[in-house]
Amino acid sequence: MSAFATRVGRSAITAGLQAADVYRLFARTLYYVFRGRRSRGATLEQLYLIGNKSLFFMTTVMGFLGMITVFQAGLQLERVVPDTSQLGASFAELLVRNFAPDIGAMMLATRVGAGIAAEIGSMAVTEQLDALRMSAADPIDFLVVPRFLASLVMTAVLVIWGAAVAEGVGLLTGWSVFDIRPGTFFNLMMVDVGDVVVGLAKCFAYGAAIPLLSAHMGLRAYGGSEGVGSATTNAVVASSFAVIVLNAIISAAGFLVFPQ
Amino acid sequence: MIRFMSLHKRFGEKVILDGVDLEVGRGEVFFVIGASGVGKSVLIKHLVGLLRPDSGEIWLDDQEVSRLSERDLAPVRKRCAMVFQHSTLFDSMSCVDNVALPLRKHRALGHEEARAEARRRLADVHMEELADRFPSELGDGMRKRVAIARALTLEPEYVLFDEPTTSLDPISARRVDRLIRDLSDRLHVTSIVVSHDLTSIFTIADRIAMLYQGKVRALGTPAELRALEDPVVQQFVRGEARGPMET
Repeated sequence: MSAFATRVGRSAITAGLQAADVYRLFARTLYYVFRGRRSRGATLEQLYLIGNKSLFFMTTVMGFLGMITVFQAGLQLERVVPDTSQLGASFAELLVRNFAPDIGAMMLATRVGAGIAAEIGSMAVTEQLDALRMSAADPIDFLVVPRFLASLVMTAVLVIWGAAVAEGVGLLTGWSVFDIRPGTFFNLMMVDVGDVVVGLAKCFAYGAAIPLLSAHMGLRAYGGSEGVGSATTNAVVASSFAVIVLNAIISAAGFLVFPQ
Repeated sequence: MIRFMSLHKRFGEKVILDGVDLEVGRGEVFFVIGASGVGKSVLIKHLVGLLRPDSGEIWLDDQEVSRLSERDLAPVRKRCAMVFQHSTLFDSMSCVDNVALPLRKHRALGHEEARAEARRRLADVHMEELADRFPSELGDGMRKRVAIARALTLEPEYVLFDEPTTSLDPISARRVDRLIRDLSDRLHVTSIVVSHDLTSIFTIADRIAMLYQGKVRALGTPAELRALEDPVVQQFVRGEARGPMET
């Protein structure tokens, strides 16, 4: 029992110390956002790498998810009601408030988070971070801030794009399978300001959390390729977990501020 | 002058440095030798704040540097350059941009001005024709030369070399040796060289310190080390597989 308590206590202390490290990384990242000396090209490059390079992945997954969701929801509606005229309106609300930001962020946590952790982790284990510090280039200003800014912008852009793709594919599915006219399916009647605010708040929260947690894992990588692999795995797990926790917090706050 | 005073460092349960005292004079070529994992690289990283000691002091001339903040370490890192073991060039930058980075950050030079200066530095190590190549396109010896150009670009007073001849062919290794010796003889640059390379050690060292079990086991000129009767030192100096040395 005491060994179990010791293990739990040690895990709690480790988690607390890591949370403090992530907080310090966040504070220093914000400092360098305004006071940093990085080149402008670095952020543009990351916008391309995080945004453009995720476009195909995001489009494909959101398209399929839009199709499957509308198909399954339509089937259930036909069995129970059977009236599918409100399917499009309900789907649009679900898409804006939950589906697009949550699923989109989970996908970015795997693609973007793994990439950031692997790149920074490789630099850590090959002493490139030390070489940066010797060159008076703080790794946070030089590496983390461009990824943070790019992720903040591109998560929102990709989620909005993903929502549009899912809506479009959902519309085609509704039309071809359930004979719902596009004009009927494309219905934003149920999307209100609260849905848009909650959706955007999630985009920015996830867009900040994924690069920060992934960079944190990369910066503390050690021990060669095994260390980089471990940092990458931890980054994906931590980013996905952060998306779930932030989703719960923002959704709860959203229901309190914008009751439905 | 550099002084390490009663330096202690441990990683977890493992004691790496257990009270190291060393003094390196201006213009010296000072070698730190010892078996792999004995703490040679750890020792020199303390001087430029890449690692912090558990206890002890490190003096660079009249300044104690072991507890400086990152910001206050910038002038120290400008005076003390470091050539890392595996060259450690930035993969995403061309050679000229690698060399230009310290100029842009430490001296706040503009992009083009820094690149022009970096090209001159690369010419000093006969790498001007490959200035626009990326590190992945170069061999080990070439990468090492670019790393040396980057380290020397700020005209440092002290240069720390972490195994500079490892993975180099014999000719490239001797060229690096000659460069280190020249830095001392012509420009009075102080070099601390971490190395296993017995040829380098006994060709260019002014003095040598041997680390063993976290402490300085032997200290002296190459001739003095050769004359020591300590079996641990003799095993290392002769490069013998069998002997009392614990690895």
